[in-house]
Amino acid sequence: MTITVEVFAVPGCSQCAQTRDALRQVVEAIGHDKVAWREINVLEALDYAVEVGVLSPPCLAIDGELVFPTLPTPETLRHALNQRLTRQEDR
Amino acid sequence: MHSPGTGSERLTIGRLAAKSGVSVDTIRYYEKEALLQPPKRSAGGFRLYTDEAIRRLRFIRHAQQCGMALSEIRTLLDIKRQDDACCHDVRSLAVRKRLHIEQQIRSLQAMSQALGQLIEDCSGGQAPVDECPILAAMESGIESGKNGRKKAGILEADDDDHG
Repeated sequence: MTITVEVFAVPGCSQCAQTRDALRQVVEAIGHDKVAWREINVLEALDYAVEVGVLSPPCLAIDGELVFPTLPTPETLRHALNQRLTRQEDR
Repeated sequence: MHSPGTGSERLTIGRLAAKSGVSVDTIRYYEKEALLQPPKRSAGGFRLYTDEAIRRLRFIRHAQQCGMALSEIRTLLDIKRQDDACCHDVRSLAVRKRLHIEQQIRSLQAMSQALGQLIEDCSGGQAPVDECPILAAMESGIESGKNGRKKAGILEADDDDHG
């Protein structure tokens, strides 16, 4: 099953954009067949952001769960995704 | 009361209160909380405010109308003072506030729904209170109603609100 990574942000933050790009590269390196990447504009998808529990963008959810209330480092995301992938393989 | 030579009006705390619609006690409180600059004093020790105080009180009132707490208003004022701050900083704070408000709205909606369900399950009337389904549901938290429907738990909504 594909893991979904969602970054919730508000357009206009250049610092967020840099971090976001680095995180997207992590996902691309793992492969789109295993991890899907979505960028969500909080202002355009307010209901969904609230449903996920977003309170302070930018933040990152994995499979609809707000795992990182602040954006993680690429290394932290890679680790979290690898753990999930391993768990999926074990099942 | 006018300050000689400056041309700008100086207001006592009572005049400022009357002009701004904010009570004297609140003005003193804002001053204590550093939301309002301490004003110059007259020779007799009375606080004398400038038009800037009126503008600041309007700012605070408008921010409160948008749901901002005093701590958030203080943050806004800090941002306003910072040379390297930009509009994005203010917008981010507004976005965060809106998300909090939306979360609160959903919590309140869940509470309202839960109460609506309980009201529906209780026919009222003269039955003794120990048979009251509303009180019974409050005691047991989440449980099935008399017709087997699951109640959206008040406790859950409350937890969300405080979480």
